[in-house]
Amino acid sequence: MSDGKAFNIDLGRLKSREKDRSPQAIEKAERAGEELGFVARDGQKRRGRKPSPRTGQVHAKVLPGVSEEIANEAKRRGVQQGVLIEEAWALYKEKSGI
Amino acid sequence: MPTVVIASPKGGAGKSTAAILLGTELAHAGASVVMLDCDPNHSLTLWADRAPLPDRIKVLSNVTESDIVRTIKQHDTDGQIVVVDLEGVASRLVSRAISQADLVITPMRATTLDATIGVRALQLIAEEEEALDRKIPHAVVFTMTKAIRSKQHSGIAESLAAQGVDLINPPLMERAAFSALFEFGGNLRNMPAQGNMDGAIENAALFAQAVYKRLAEGG
Repeated sequence: MSDGKAFNIDLGRLKSREKDRSPQAIEKAERAGEELGFVARDGQKRRGRKPSPRTGQVHAKVLPGVSEEIANEAKRRGVQQGVLIEEAWALYKEKSGI
Repeated sequence: MPTVVIASPKGGAGKSTAAILLGTELAHAGASVVMLDCDPNHSLTLWADRAPLPDRIKVLSNVTESDIVRTIKQHDTDGQIVVVDLEGVASRLVSRAISQADLVITPMRATTLDATIGVRALQLIAEEEEALDRKIPHAVVFTMTKAIRSKQHSGIAESLAAQGVDLINPPLMERAAFSALFEFGGNLRNMPAQGNMDGAIENAALFAQAVYKRLAEGG
């Protein structure tokens, strides 16, 4: 088996050419590619709001005044009404020793 | 130092094998080589993980569409050659890599299917040359060729040559040692003997020399 160098490289002869790396140049290259079907295939990040972890539901009917108060308080704090119910439930558990 | 992009939208054309043979032979001849693995199948990384990397070779994995231009720029410096191995699909990553190339090599099996799909890489290069107003040197290397050249191989070679396509001579033959690189890692000179090793080494070295000649002339 050969172990010698097959050829020698003269590093001085190897030069990189000047390339345009501006966003405009890259966009031109991309446009040229897109027409031939060379399109974005990297996984795109999911856009928009992440799904809420609150998937449980309660089915509660309350007096009209109470529902209005809950709605106003949730709006004031910028949270969902379910957050207030969770907090109320936590207080109830604490009070009841559950 | 130059950036060599190995590109073909056809899977299984021999891109990663050509990239490894080129990188290891150039490194053996004295160049520092940075190899960028842009293939989600991580072929280069699989090879790199098999054994300690040969001297003067560095492999960067998981280079994606969003960081290919930045990564090439970072390593396209004095004293090292960048070899980019792309995935076998038509993607924006390919367009971006070609825009930064000093030489594009399209490996192609000598079959009608490979030639038909591989030619799309040549069309892309032509479009990018026009869009960027710069010449992008490129060449085709036939891969997995047999000792006896088929009529199909001759027909495709003649057709490409008639269109002015630069064909790298010698082609990369189908050799046990080439595919064994992914089993043993390293380079052809330090792996256990696989078939005709002298023939494989000579084939790889002459291929790398042909690429070097193009790079030196283009500089």
